[in-house]
Amino acid sequence: MAKIELSNISHTYNPNDTNPTYALNPFSMTWENGKRYAILGPSGCGKTTMLNIVSGLVRPSKGKILFDENDVTDLITEERNIAQVFQFPVIYNTMTVYDNLAFPLRCRNFSDQKIEERVKSVSDTLRLSSFLKSPARKLTADQKQLISLGRGLVREDVAGVLMDEPLTVIDPDLKFRLRRNLKEINEQYKTTLVYVTHDQNEAMTFADNIIVMDQGEIVQVGLPKDLFERPRTTFVGYFIGSPAMNLFETEASSNDCVKINGTLIKTNTNLSKLKDKKIKLGIRSEFINLAEDQKHNLLSVEVDKVEDLGNYKLLTAKMGELTIKSKINREIEVPSSDVKLHIPADKCCVYDNEILI
Amino acid sequence: MNFKHKYVFLFPGLFVLIGILIFPIIFTIRLSLSGWNSYTPEMNFIGITNYIRLFTDDPRFWESFFRLSFLSVTTVILQYIIGFALALIVWREIKFKRFFRVIFLIPMMTTPVIMTVIWRTFFHESLGPVNDLLGNLGVEPILWLSDPVIAKFTVIIVEVWQWTPFMFLLLLAGLLSLPKEPFLAAAIDGASSFRKFVYVTFPLMAPISIGAIIIRLIEASKIMDTVFVLTSGGPGTATETSSFYIYIKGLREFQMGYAATLSFTYLVIMIISLTIIAKVLTKLMIKE
Repeated sequence: MAKIELSNISHTYNPNDTNPTYALNPFSMTWENGKRYAILGPSGCGKTTMLNIVSGLVRPSKGKILFDENDVTDLITEERNIAQVFQFPVIYNTMTVYDNLAFPLRCRNFSDQKIEERVKSVSDTLRLSSFLKSPARKLTADQKQLISLGRGLVREDVAGVLMDEPLTVIDPDLKFRLRRNLKEINEQYKTTLVYVTHDQNEAMTFADNIIVMDQGEIVQVGLPKDLFERPRTTFVGYFIGSPAMNLFETEASSNDCVKINGTLIKTNTNLSKLKDKKIKLGIRSEFINLAEDQKHNLLSVEVDKVEDLGNYKLLTAKMGELTIKSKINREIEVPSSDVKLHIPADKCCVYDNEILI
Repeated sequence: MNFKHKYVFLFPGLFVLIGILIFPIIFTIRLSLSGWNSYTPEMNFIGITNYIRLFTDDPRFWESFFRLSFLSVTTVILQYIIGFALALIVWREIKFKRFFRVIFLIPMMTTPVIMTVIWRTFFHESLGPVNDLLGNLGVEPILWLSDPVIAKFTVIIVEVWQWTPFMFLLLLAGLLSLPKEPFLAAAIDGASSFRKFVYVTFPLMAPISIGAIIIRLIEASKIMDTVFVLTSGGPGTATETSSFYIYIKGLREFQMGYAATLSFTYLVIMIISLTIIAKVLTKLMIKE
C-alpha cells in the first residue's frame, strides 16, 4: 500500500503538434493510503488516461508520479507494483482459477507456501474458494471480473488497485453486492482503491472521495455530500444528481437576492460585488417543495406535468420561459394548475461564470 | 412470403456450381468405374476392378501418399513456426516495420513455377551457387536433387520459402486484431515475455492458427508444381507425391479410368483426414 501522488501531471496524445490538445490539463493530486476514490466524468473526459498514467501504461507528457515519495514516472508497469482491473474481465483462459490468482505471485517468484496462503485469503474474501480448481474460462462474467480483481489483491504490497469501469458487464443486483464487497476488501486489506466510472450512483456509494472530471480538467474533489449540495461548477451540478440541478439565468438585485422572472429570491450568498451582473442560480430538485406556510422565497408556477417515478413524484413546472423540476414526496397530492414552490435560501448555489461563489 | 421466382435467381450460381464442382465429381466417379485408357478410349463399365487394383496391387500410390503426408505436415509446421516468429517480430513497434512487412510477403507474390526453376538452378549440384558457396566454406558438394533423402528436404525448403509469407500474413492479421487488455493485464501481473506468449498471445491466437494451418494443409497436400519442376518426382520416386503420381497415370500413361479411381480415392481420404485434423487441432488448441 502506498500514498500515490500526482504532481503537475499533464498529458497530450499529440505532443509534436504546434498546438497540442491536452487530454489532461495540468493538475496535482494526492491519493492517501488505504482510501477509496472514484473518478467520475463523462466519456472522453480523461479518466482512463489518468488511470493509465498511474499504472504506467501511459507516460505523462509533463509532471511526476510518486509512490510513497519515490518517483516512479519512468518505471514501466511491471516495476510499479500496481494492479488494474479493466472494463471487461481479463483472465488467463488456459488456467484454473487458482492458477489465475497465483499468476502475479508466480511471476514475482514467491514461494509455493506463500502463494497458497495468499490465494486462499483472497479467494475467501471474493467468495471464489469453491471454484479454485475449475478452469477460469467456465466461470460467469462477474466471477471472471472477481478473478481480475483478485489478481490485483493477491499482492500484499501492491501500491493501489485501479479499476476502470469494472462493473459494466455485471448485473445490477450483483453490482450492488460487488461494490459492498469492494468496500469490505478496502477495509480488510487497507488497499488504496481508485475506481473510474461514469455512473454517479456507483461513485457515490463506493467512494470516500469523488473526483469529478470534465474535458481533461478536474472540476471538483469532495465527499458525495459536497458534490450534491455544493457543486463547485454548473457542470458538476448538471452531471451529478438525477434530475440535474435546476439552473436559472438571473442577476443579483441586492446584497443577497436574485430576481427570477420578476420574483425576488433570497440566498445565503453575499452578492454585493456582483450587482447587475449575469449570474446563475442553482438549486437541486430535491430541495424545492410545494409551499406550505412559508412567506418568502416563493415562485408562482404553472404545473406542466407530474410523473410518478415509484419512490417519488417528479414535478415539472413552467414559469414563463423557465422550467423547474422538483422531487416531491409521492404521498403529497399535486394540484393540476398553478402552485407555489418554496426555494430554501440555504440550499441556493450562485454561480458566476459557471463557478460557485 | 411465397416467392417462387427465387429459383430463377439462384440458377446462375447453381449452374456454375454444377458446372465446376458437381459435374466433374460425378464424371470422375463414373470414369473410375471404366477402363478408359489409350487402347480402349471409351466409357465402358468394368465395375470396381480399378479400386481392387488400387487397394491390392499399387504400393506406389500409397508410398506417394505417405510421402505427401510427410512433406505437407513438415512444411506446414515449419511455415507455422517461421511465419509466427516473423509476424511477432513485425507486430511490435520496430524500425522499418512497413518495409519488413512487405519484404516478408515477396515470395508469395512470385510465380511458383518460375521461382522453382530459379531454386533448381541454385541447387544444381555442379553448376549451382549453393554448392559453390558451401565449397568455399570447405563443405563437400551436397546432392540436393539426386539423393533420395536430401531431395525431400530440398522440396521442403522451396515450399517453406514460397508459402511461409501466406502463413505470416494470416498470423499478422490475427495478431493485429487481438484485444489490448489481456496484454496490459499480463504486464500489470508482471509476466515475462515468455509467459506473455505462452499464456496470452498463443491462446488468443489459437483459433486463427487453426484456420491458417488447415488452409495451408489443404494447399500443401496439392504439392505438384514444385515437385514437377524441381525433381520430377525423382530421384526414382523419392519425391513423388499423390497428385504427381495421378498426373503420371492420367496424362502421361493415359490410364484415364485408373487415374480417376486414384483421384476419387485421394479426395475421400483428404476430406476425412482434414476433418479429423481440424477436430484434433481445435481440441488441442482451443479449450472451450
